[in-house]
Amino acid sequence: MSHKSKGTITNMIASALVLAAYVTYALRRGAGEPESLQSWALTILVFIGIAVAVSIVAQIVFRIGLSIAIGVTERTDDSARINRVVTSSLAEDEMDRQIGMRADRVGYVCAGIGVVGMLVMLAFGAPLVASLHVLLGSFALGSLVAGAVSVHGYERGFVNA
Amino acid sequence: MPKNSAPKNLVISNNIRRLRFEAGEMTQIELAEKVGASRQTILNIEAGKYTPSLDLAFRIADAFGVTLGEVFERQPAGGA
Repeated sequence: MSHKSKGTITNMIASALVLAAYVTYALRRGAGEPESLQSWALTILVFIGIAVAVSIVAQIVFRIGLSIAIGVTERTDDSARINRVVTSSLAEDEMDRQIGMRADRVGYVCAGIGVVGMLVMLAFGAPLVASLHVLLGSFALGSLVAGAVSVHGYERGFVNA
Repeated sequence: MPKNSAPKNLVISNNIRRLRFEAGEMTQIELAEKVGASRQTILNIEAGKYTPSLDLAFRIADAFGVTLGEVFERQPAGGA
């Protein structure tokens, strides 16, 4: 598996953990209850901030872990050489942009379905908080699916894209 | 409207592995650095899993000092 795939999977795991933490919190609090929308919006904003911070930390830990792994497999402690391999392996180029565009497209579809789902729920008189969580869930799912599409792109590649 | 007479069922293959060998066993990292791409991209192009843009294809040819046709060629699918 390529280093970029591993980095993407690390991000996906970090996102999934934050999502699981949020779902646990929301279920305890009662996401379907007719509660203040403002209060839920603030909670979601806090969790988005946590997700960003966790993602940054996960990437730092991943890069450190990758450097150690490369040092072991290449049997070297030359930091310049290790850094060169890491930089070359993780450098962003046209293939990343093409894979990213493809992944984003799938992510937008998930988010779009979530928006429609939320509107349908509202149209049928569902609580605002529950509808908000359908929207949030679709974005979270879209992010994870986009990650999976990226990993697929890195591993299988794509010809004549 | 001109009729497209290009033969179909052709795949793009490449000679990057051979050219790297002839260039003094140039590593994928060295080639990646020369053309401004990642090692992963070079690896995928070499394995025929990624079709590079025309710009990157020219940069790869320039890195070896050969023409584009010497790096990439089209062959019938499933054969050659």
